[in-house]
This record gives sequence, structure tokens and C-alpha cells, in this order.
Amino acid sequence: MFIYNKKLQYPVKIARPNPRLASIIISQYGGPDGELGASMRYLSQRYSMPFDEQKGLLTDIGTEELGHLEMVGAIIHQLTRNLKEKDIENTPLAQYFVDHTVGVYPTSASGFPWTAASMQVKGDPITDLSEDLAAEQKARTTYDNILRLSDDPDVNDVIKFLREREVVHFQRFGEANCPETVSSLYFDKYRHYNFILKGLLLIKTGKTSL
Amino acid sequence: MDLRERKRDGKLGHLPARAPLANAYVPFQLEDPPKYEARKALVRGTLYPGLDLPFRGMVNQKEKPVTPTTELQALGFAVQELALYLDTHPDDCEALQLYRKYQKMYDAAKKQYTNKCRPLNHMTVTDDKKYTWLCDPWPWEYAANKEG
Repeated sequence: MFIYNKKLQYPVKIARPNPRLASIIISQYGGPDGELGASMRYLSQRYSMPFDEQKGLLTDIGTEELGHLEMVGAIIHQLTRNLKEKDIENTPLAQYFVDHTVGVYPTSASGFPWTAASMQVKGDPITDLSEDLAAEQKARTTYDNILRLSDDPDVNDVIKFLREREVVHFQRFGEANCPETVSSLYFDKYRHYNFILKGLLLIKTGKTSL
Repeated sequence: MDLRERKRDGKLGHLPARAPLANAYVPFQLEDPPKYEARKALVRGTLYPGLDLPFRGMVNQKEKPVTPTTELQALGFAVQELALYLDTHPDDCEALQLYRKYQKMYDAAKKQYTNKCRPLNHMTVTDDKKYTWLCDPWPWEYAANKEG
């Protein structure tokens, strides 16, 4: 089960509110490559993973992504605190404001609300881990783009941290998808598992028979 | 940077010698890789210099001021980074020992934090007279950075 710890993974301390930045960073809350999708993707994919390494990794990264979701929410909250109506009119946040005031709502920067259609759970470990590799790169690019558009040092401090986490997660998903991680385990524990896993073993190890 | 330096900094990984076709490969991080100290790791976003790959060279140079909260964040982050590493390198004994060391340091810091600052979760609400769980600030608030 999950227990809430009353702290952020990394400090979020944003001195100056900025509605324009809030209107783009919201994409990492509820956009197609954002932290909500990341946590739901990994925490849902873990049920159909055959190996302990993969179950552990998806649980641990999926949980960390929930922490990142909270950090992005904190960024939006602090960027929009104490704003007057006149601070928001004529900014890109006006469209968001009319629907959500300054509540934190999972949507993309372009206004498309969060949808499970931006993620997949295929139930095949190679397919799902390959999706996860792509997902980490897409999130990394989104953080790159935020760094391209933001010159606020307080915001960029946190974004650089979140961006680097995508690099590390990519590395770990790649290792979990590597035949050398899993090939020895196939023989010990999963020979009896089922024909799908036997097929996977053939692909993974290059052997012609079991 | 020449090959030897890249190797020393843990920037080179290991690929299978004869890899099966039609599979995506990421070079495996070698065992016992170089590591940052916990406080530096926190601002870099990784414990491992080899994986520290910033956008356009933009890195956080300054470490966070030492407070009970950032102490907990730095130690908790080191444990998290080692956990993800151990998920794919469960046989690296050095990493396991470092993971245990940071766990112990985290536990000690957590005790200090809950005594001095505020409860961390419902298991660490220790006041008999007052329900301190509700005390401000909450982590997402700007004011959370003012104390502790």
C-alpha cells in the first residue's frame, strides 16, 4: 500500500509567480508525456511482468513518478499564488483560468485533459518496457522544451532535477529489457511458466530450443 | 574526453557480446560505478556521474542549504537511486552495503526531523495533546521552505 510522506522528493521554492510558465509546465502534470501518465503506466504494467527485477523496478519508478507529480503540482501552485485577475488576463493562462481558476488540473499545455489513451498496458514485458523507454525520452524532451522556454532560475532548478530523473529511468528500463538481466532467471524459475514465456526465452537468448 | 577518462567517470557501459536481433539495448551500467555524495547527487538529479547528462550543460551547481528537510531529501534520494540500481544489479555487494548505510543515516535523520519539525507520516505523529498532522506548512506551499 501507499503511505503519504509529508515532504517533497526535492525542494520546490519559486519566488516569483508567473502565469505564462504555469500554462506550459501544466503539461508535465496532465499532458501526454507527463508524470500522471508515467505513474499510471508503470504501476499498471507491473502486474504482467514475469521477473522480480521488472516487478521491483516498475513499482519503484512508478512510485517515484507519483512524487514527481506532486512536485509539478507544487510548481504550478507556487507559480499561480497571489495572482490578481489583471495578472492573468492577456496571458496564456487565461483559458485555463476560466475552467479551473488556479486549481491544479491534469491537462496538457494545449488544453487536452489527461487521458489514459496517452499510455498503454500491453501485457507483454518486451512491448511494455519498450514503451517505457520511449516514454522516458518523450518526458525528457518535454523538460528540454520547458528549459528552452523558461528563464526563471527557481523553476529551472527543479526542472533540471526532473529531467535528469528521466535519463536515469531510461537507463534502468533498458537494463530491465536486456537479455543478460533475465536469461539466467528463465531457466531457474520460469521454465514451466507458459508458452509465451518460452517463446520470449527463445527470442531473448537466441537459443533454438529449450 | 578520451576513452580512459570516460571509463574512469563511469560513462561507459557494457553491451552483450552477441546480442539477439530485434530487441532494444541500453548499455548495462558497470558494477560499483563512481558515485556523488548524497547532497551533490540531490541537486544533480542522479547519484552517478556516468548518468549525469544535462541539457545544454545546464546543471545545478549550488547544493541546497543544510536543513532537517534537505537532509532527509538528500539521504532519501541516495536510497532511491541505489534501490533503482539494485533492481537491475541485485548482486552488487558494494551497492547493497551503501544502500544499507544510507538507510541507517535516513532513519537517524528522520528521528531528528520528526522531533524538531513535524510528523512525516501518520506513524510519526507523536504528540499526545495535539493532532499535529494538520499543522502548516504542507510540502507544496512556498512557506514549506521557510522553516526546517
